[in-house]
Amino acid sequence: METSFDPDLIHAIFKLVCSSSAERDEETEAVDVEVGAGASKKSRPTTAHHSALSVSCELLRLFVAEAIERTAIIAEAEGANKIEPTHLERILPQLLLDF
Amino acid sequence: MVGSGDDGGEGDGDHFEVLKGMDPEADERAELLKDRFRLSVISIATSEAKKVNMEVAEPVVACIADLAFKYTEQLARDVELFAHHASRKSVKMEDVILSAHRNEHLANLLRTYSQELKGKQLQTESKKKRSSKKDDKEIRD
Repeated sequence: METSFDPDLIHAIFKLVCSSSAERDEETEAVDVEVGAGASKKSRPTTAHHSALSVSCELLRLFVAEAIERTAIIAEAEGANKIEPTHLERILPQLLLDF
Repeated sequence: MVGSGDDGGEGDGDHFEVLKGMDPEADERAELLKDRFRLSVISIATSEAKKVNMEVAEPVVACIADLAFKYTEQLARDVELFAHHASRKSVKMEDVILSAHRNEHLANLLRTYSQELKGKQLQTESKKKRSSKKDDKEIRD
């Protein structure tokens, strides 16, 4: 079986991010000019379907796998047998643009 | 690169502003999640490196873990916005696939993965229905 992320872990991170941004919006509500926007922001979705979490896990697994694979190619081209930070540096810009 | 713990915390403080500085409790939860996340990344990275018969240096894995965590935070924000934009209260698969829209290959990979998932779900559902129908028959007989 291929190792991947735990959907519950991803779910927990999602909830944490949602609650933090909800707190921030409450603080800035007084500055909001549009009342409509402030009202709709209160009902923030914090639930996620199980399938959505699985696909998110797959997406993150692809991110890590792609990073390792690209770095390994550089390392092999240099003739090293261990992946070093200098190899990672070279692939980072393109990796971050691709994801 | 990302090495000592002290510099790492201050160095990427501006990026973690979403999670840090809210309240100490949330900070603690964030740290705990980050650690669990890093463990998963370590296991995935080492198994991937094994596939190509290479070893990974620890700073590399730590860096990838931090990047992946920031990516997850961004993904959470994006996906929430998409679901909210579609007047939905819960995040669905299509929101996650949409977040990868900038890279067609990636989006297609995710789409096939989601279709496989749906297929498996339908299979298990129909199996349950079939087995429950069988049970009904046996009871009647």
